[in-house]
Amino acid sequence: MSIERKFQIAAYVIFISLIFAAPVIGDEFWLNRISKYLVYGMLGVAIALTWGYAGILNLGQGLFFGVGAYMLAMSLKLSSLTSLQQGSDKPVPDFMLWNAEPGAPTELCCINKGSFLWLPFQSQSVGLVLGLVLPVVIAGALGMLVFRKRISGVFVSIITLALVLLVRLVMVDAQPVTNGFNGLTDLGWLTIGGIEFDPYSRATYYLCAACLSLTLIGARLIVETRAGMILQAIRDDHVRARYLGFDVSLYQVFFFVISAGIAGVAGMLYVVVAEFASPTFMDLSFSVTMVVWAAVGGRSSLLGACIGAILINIIEAEVSETEALVEAWKAIIGLIFVLVVLFMPRGLGGAAHDVVRWFVRKPKPGQPFPALPQQSEVL
Amino acid sequence: MLDILFIGLSLGSILLLVALGLAITYGAMGVINMAHGEMVMIGAYVAVLSGIWLKTSLLLAIPLAFVVTALLGLMIERVVVRRLYGRLLDTLLATWGIAILLQQAVRLEFGLSFFGIHIQGLGVGLQNVAVPSYLQGTFRLAGADINAYRTFTIAVTAALTLATWFILYRTAAGMQVRAIIRNPKMAAACGIDVKRVNAVTFAFGSGLAGVAGVMMSGFKTVFPDMGTTMVVDGFMVVVTGGVGSLFGTILSSGLLGEINALVAIGTNDILARAVVFGVVILVILVKPSGLFSFKGR
Repeated sequence: MSIERKFQIAAYVIFISLIFAAPVIGDEFWLNRISKYLVYGMLGVAIALTWGYAGILNLGQGLFFGVGAYMLAMSLKLSSLTSLQQGSDKPVPDFMLWNAEPGAPTELCCINKGSFLWLPFQSQSVGLVLGLVLPVVIAGALGMLVFRKRISGVFVSIITLALVLLVRLVMVDAQPVTNGFNGLTDLGWLTIGGIEFDPYSRATYYLCAACLSLTLIGARLIVETRAGMILQAIRDDHVRARYLGFDVSLYQVFFFVISAGIAGVAGMLYVVVAEFASPTFMDLSFSVTMVVWAAVGGRSSLLGACIGAILINIIEAEVSETEALVEAWKAIIGLIFVLVVLFMPRGLGGAAHDVVRWFVRKPKPGQPFPALPQQSEVL
Repeated sequence: MLDILFIGLSLGSILLLVALGLAITYGAMGVINMAHGEMVMIGAYVAVLSGIWLKTSLLLAIPLAFVVTALLGLMIERVVVRRLYGRLLDTLLATWGIAILLQQAVRLEFGLSFFGIHIQGLGVGLQNVAVPSYLQGTFRLAGADINAYRTFTIAVTAALTLATWFILYRTAAGMQVRAIIRNPKMAAACGIDVKRVNAVTFAFGSGLAGVAGVMMSGFKTVFPDMGTTMVVDGFMVVVTGGVGSLFGTILSSGLLGEINALVAIGTNDILARAVVFGVVILVILVKPSGLFSFKGR
């Protein structure tokens, strides 16, 4: 095992122990905030996986996040008690009751034209399963269409971007079913196997920490399989990979789907932690912001992108404690972003990598400094 | 029916003004300029500010906005974009950062709001621009009510498109730009100063966006975030039309504008935008190089 490899494993171990040790130092409200950032960390991993390892810049990752979030939120909405307090005897989303036509039956099947879509979500497990399955299916279908047609580079970005904005508009427009701009609020708690995940409890924090750790380790392992290697070969030269007989689109679709699955799970966790789902998840700015996190953390480093996401959000939260700095902070983020792209294109992860390499391979006197391998130009 | 088609044409003309600049910068320089929408926004603010402080009419704001945004574009090219040629998606990210900076600059009144100084016309709030009286109201043409300001918008777009066409296809500088679109390395080898031409092209494209902002300020409220949707729409037009094809950009902006107007009449504005996005996705899936593109590169 090379020393660099040891550093890498040590970094993962330290990071995972840190996030599991965090509850020691903070109270529940702080933990709730940190859980959100761990969820963002998962999004960072999802972006790094497609962007750094597959060379696919997905500007619509918010779609998978949003779909995952909405699926679970619909289930949790039906398990919340607010609708019963509104005078209904069955769980019906409160906004449907408010907007119902006079005399409409207060049942999910027929309170309005689209409300039957909510019927399956009376069971929490349906929401949980669909929150993972639907993003995966959408990503699979989209990936088949896009990558089979050998569409690449900026065109993939434009398609994913247009798709997330399209879905967002449809969600906003389908106000009777989705509550439009307001999104879903007043959600119940997720319950798995008798454990209730109160958003302000340690259980929820550990759930997020465990999911992030599994995602990190899983993603790390999968990029080191043969499939992962082929994927990176495709990123570097897809023509040659195709010439060598690999089914290029198959690998691209596979990793696109995995990334979508991670984003879907992240969306579900976010709903558990933040107790709402809203169309802002599918805003252009949110999807680009995820890419920003990954770029600052290091686009071709899974752990780096994850730490980048968490770090930026922690700093942002600290800065925005002071009212006057909220807007200024956004300007600072913009500036950081320009500077990182200009002067540190490989982000924090790349910088850490170089530092380790420099320590490990200190040239002996008279021996030339080993050249760094040429970083492939990741589009 | 004619009035709906006319609304579509005016929507398309705004799209075209935004997309023209993008088409040139993206086609010629391989730069995805996410700050292009902010140029629209700043153009609109030039209209607001010149109305408040110089008491001039919207007409004078057009050349003023062109100059201001062109200079700003030149600065952005010199400071940031120049270092990123050949890294397409990095230009997207860096210019996104610039876009945030520009939005916040307007919102914070260039940082003056921290010191309690407020400039009328800037800041977080919504702004409106007065349209001169001779551009207000409607006139009747072939049995349809035609809005005077929309007609003016279409006329300005047509004039600027013609000017762009003339510069690109009938001047020596335009020939250099077209050479760079086809093959930048070969153009450089033939003695074209690619860096200089790129800088001027970028400034020109930004200036066009500024004019689009002035035109938009006449019928939409002006606010710091208004550019984000514009840049997305502009890119949809450019990609649908075919990268590097002026003709394609013109046709696709008309097409998307008409689709938007027609669907909006049948349903609502939100669904109309959704349908436009759907059409764009289909076009890219079926013909990734765009509807009207030439072979090259």
